[in-house]
Amino acid sequence: MSVISEKEAELDQVMHSFLSFTLDGEFFAVDVKKVIEILEVPAITKIPLAPKYLSGIINLRGKVLPLVDTKVKFGLEPVEFTVDTCVIVMEIKIEDETIQIGTLVDSVLEVMEVADNAIQPSPSVDAKYKLEFIRGMYRKDDDFILLLNLDEVFSIEEMNFLQDQNIEQTDAQDIKEQTK
Amino acid sequence: MEKNILVVDDSESIRELVGDILTKAGFNVFKGYDGRNGLEVLTSTEENMSMIITDLFMPGMDGIDLIKEIRKLERYQYIPILMLTTESHMAKKMEAKKAGVTGWMVKPFEEEKLLKTVHKIIR
Amino acid sequence: MSNLRDVYLEEAEELFKRIEEALLLLENSPEDSSSLIADVFRSMHTLKGNSGMFGLTKVADFLHNLETLYEKVRSDHSLLSEDIIECTFKSLDHVKKIIYDPEIEEQENIDENQALTDEILKILKRTEEVSIDLHSIEALSGMVSYLVFFQPKHDVFEDGTNPILLLDELAELGKSKVFSHMESKALSDSFDPKVCYTSWNIVLVTEKGLDAIRDVFIFVEDSAMIEINELFDGDILADQEFHERLPEVDLPSAPLSFDDFRSLIEIDRPSASGDTEIEVIPETTDSSTEEKTEKTESTPEPATKKAPVETKKTSTSTSSSEEPSVYKNKVKKLFDKNKTASSIRVSSDKLNELMNNVSELVTTQAALALFTKNNFDPTLDAISDNVEKLTRQLRDISFGMTLVQVDNLFSRFQRVIRDLSSQLGKSVRFVTEGGDTELDKTIIENLADPLMHIIRNSLDHGIETAEERVKNGKPETGTIKLMSYYSGAKVYIRVEDDGGGMDPEKIRKKALEKKLISKDDNLSEKETFDLIFAPGFSTAANVTDVSGRGVGMDVVRKNILDLRGDIQVESELGVGTSITLGLPLTLSVIDGLLIKVKGTHFIIPLAEISKCFELDRKEISNEFNSVIVLDDEQLPYLDLRKEFNLGMEDNPEVTSVIVVHKLGTKIGVCVDSIEGEYQAVLKPVGKYYRDQEFISGATILGDGSLALVLDAYKIVERKMSKQKVTA
Repeated sequence: MSVISEKEAELDQVMHSFLSFTLDGEFFAVDVKKVIEILEVPAITKIPLAPKYLSGIINLRGKVLPLVDTKVKFGLEPVEFTVDTCVIVMEIKIEDETIQIGTLVDSVLEVMEVADNAIQPSPSVDAKYKLEFIRGMYRKDDDFILLLNLDEVFSIEEMNFLQDQNIEQTDAQDIKEQTK
Repeated sequence: MEKNILVVDDSESIRELVGDILTKAGFNVFKGYDGRNGLEVLTSTEENMSMIITDLFMPGMDGIDLIKEIRKLERYQYIPILMLTTESHMAKKMEAKKAGVTGWMVKPFEEEKLLKTVHKIIR
Repeated sequence: MSNLRDVYLEEAEELFKRIEEALLLLENSPEDSSSLIADVFRSMHTLKGNSGMFGLTKVADFLHNLETLYEKVRSDHSLLSEDIIECTFKSLDHVKKIIYDPEIEEQENIDENQALTDEILKILKRTEEVSIDLHSIEALSGMVSYLVFFQPKHDVFEDGTNPILLLDELAELGKSKVFSHMESKALSDSFDPKVCYTSWNIVLVTEKGLDAIRDVFIFVEDSAMIEINELFDGDILADQEFHERLPEVDLPSAPLSFDDFRSLIEIDRPSASGDTEIEVIPETTDSSTEEKTEKTESTPEPATKKAPVETKKTSTSTSSSEEPSVYKNKVKKLFDKNKTASSIRVSSDKLNELMNNVSELVTTQAALALFTKNNFDPTLDAISDNVEKLTRQLRDISFGMTLVQVDNLFSRFQRVIRDLSSQLGKSVRFVTEGGDTELDKTIIENLADPLMHIIRNSLDHGIETAEERVKNGKPETGTIKLMSYYSGAKVYIRVEDDGGGMDPEKIRKKALEKKLISKDDNLSEKETFDLIFAPGFSTAANVTDVSGRGVGMDVVRKNILDLRGDIQVESELGVGTSITLGLPLTLSVIDGLLIKVKGTHFIIPLAEISKCFELDRKEISNEFNSVIVLDDEQLPYLDLRKEFNLGMEDNPEVTSVIVVHKLGTKIGVCVDSIEGEYQAVLKPVGKYYRDQEFISGATILGDGSLALVLDAYKIVERKMSKQKVTA
């Protein structure tokens, strides 16, 4: 089962640049073409009753961007802010529209060049992440780096799925509080 | 030195098209969207026009009235004015002529022909 | 070039609209027809011209006949009949299609083109009595050889005329042979370069007719001697013998006379046009000596040909008879001038860019004001004040520029109503009011669909058939009124019909069927009417050709809410229904009240606030049924901390209560503190937060942090629906 499409496989020696970062000590990478910039954590304005993976909104030079807690997105504990915590501003395509979002990560590592044929299909051992999210895997020294398929990760449908669960939760809590 | 041409037409497409053709040919193009505006453009700029190309039928001040007004300006008493119109009736031409038009060109025209005419007039 | 094509298409759309508007007005008020017809004619003329210029010759051809028709109508208004208007509408629809199929290749378009052309020609024929297209006669006349003598006056160069240009133009008419001769003075010492010493004889063979030749010289008539004579009926230049007889051309030489040329042609050569013609020639040439001389061409249709080919005398008399109409034109122009006074078209991209920059400026100004406040300096303070004033002015001016009259929108429906009512066999009068009300163009663009749906509904379900109306003692013709007006910070758009109205019982029944309500729900009339906006209410049962487009009133409502607007329905059975849309003036800036709840800034639009007051939190916290009493009025309230799950710790002892009103409901909103008024530049928070409907956007505060703009209505609605759940 190959995650890489045939077309991509044909283009053997094509090099891709990826930006790598960590979440809970694991390595991930995204295509640098999608990355707009990397920020230190700015002031975050929380939006009430929003699902947990949405940390709030930020002001990027006059533009209002939604901020996604990538860790919650991947089923991990929410980001704890340290000096290394960063926001990667990325451009993703949802519903045929290109938008910018901020994504919280534990730390940003480096930009690396990866040849297409060095990208391996992701083994299903890593079942804790949805396969659609993973474009492939790259082995660097002793580490495995998961290359992410961003548009999939941050698609609205995917978001809504998570959101529905969250909303139910908050509503129930709400009602409890009210009837108290 | 680039020569200035004023193009007056209420139709944006024609205005832009003629403007495009002339700009490409190295002229400096001024535009007016009707007679009155054309006159305003003419009187509000220090630049000297070498020629004026105007449409005939326009709301407000039409081409003929525009020509009459232009001929009243000392600066432009003798400026060549080309009427660019779909109209080919004699009566209108007579009227335009009395007002002081220099030339008449019927739309649709070809780019080449327009340029040839313009070059001939303001060689 | 593709860019220019867009301009063409855009302009074409505008022209279509203009023509349609004028036609609709013509239909309704034929008394004020002359300026309207002129308008239709001019727009059509421009459309034709543009189409021709952009290579859409078939479109131009099609429009030509239509233009001809309106030219006739323009000179005789009584010709305008219903079928002409009908035909024009159809033709416009056709043109709308073929500008995208300019070669007219689709079979459907080919057929339609033919059918409509036939129809127009038929009407033309009917309106035509003696006037037959001059061009067609000229086309029939075939090749004719003319001798043109052209002698510019000496000072011809002075007004910028270039005689060579004219010769070129002449040559374009057909085959020609030019003989030039120069006055002997040209070679003498007194030669003056500013003087024209040359004259020309041109043998021209053309089928374009005498008029075309005269056209060439029309601008030099006064500064030249021009003689045009028919030399031979046929192509004399094709005759080898004629060429041989031609004189060697030497400069300078005496100009050859017409007779000289005549003599070059064999006398016994038969002339197809008959003898009369030859007789005429010497007569006219003789009669006028000094002035330009022209010969009347003999044609099969002397009555029509004579008029334009008359000699100078007649041409002056025609122009003087034109005086009154010129005067009338001027009067009309005065009106036009006022209408079209100084307006320019700016691309919406540029406008958006401007708005963005102004928004940024407003934000930056807020930062400056904040800095000034914290670092007081009298000079800086004055500057900051000035910047604030200017920013505000600039903001108002630029936001004003994005405002468009709703007229633009209203006029679209005229046509729809006209077509639909005839399709439905109903007689409907469409009235608009307040078309000069202005709204943000983005809002207007997004209003078209919802309004269309509402109007279709009125037509389809509201207005009864003529028989039914008469039976109920109503006028046979129904009325749909579309109006717009300002009220407060809002613009209201209202669709009113005098149709059958809605039956609350029926709505209830249907809602029960659809399980939207339960049997014990005791709904007020208003709540009942609001059910029509519930998702799933309008379904296949009431889908007809007209209103059934797969969208229900729920979509309409959603569209309006997306624009930060609201929608209200009123109806009385048997009397009519009205639907009112309340809309913000602009989408991008709102005046709001800045509040703070648990460290987060929020903004509530001022327009939705009735009053604010402070309250000891102890007074309300134990309230069981969430009601506070204010001025002897019981007021439901909600606590934003609680509402937003922000936690109750470090709650201030005194809370501020803001009374917001929306759709007749008042509700108190408890917040930690009120910070003051704030001009908020609204920015979307993005698709991710689309389920947080109560946030209509965010705005950047002076210190760069963000405040969330609350939609009071959504909060109230949320509160209400939740109360129902818990009840």
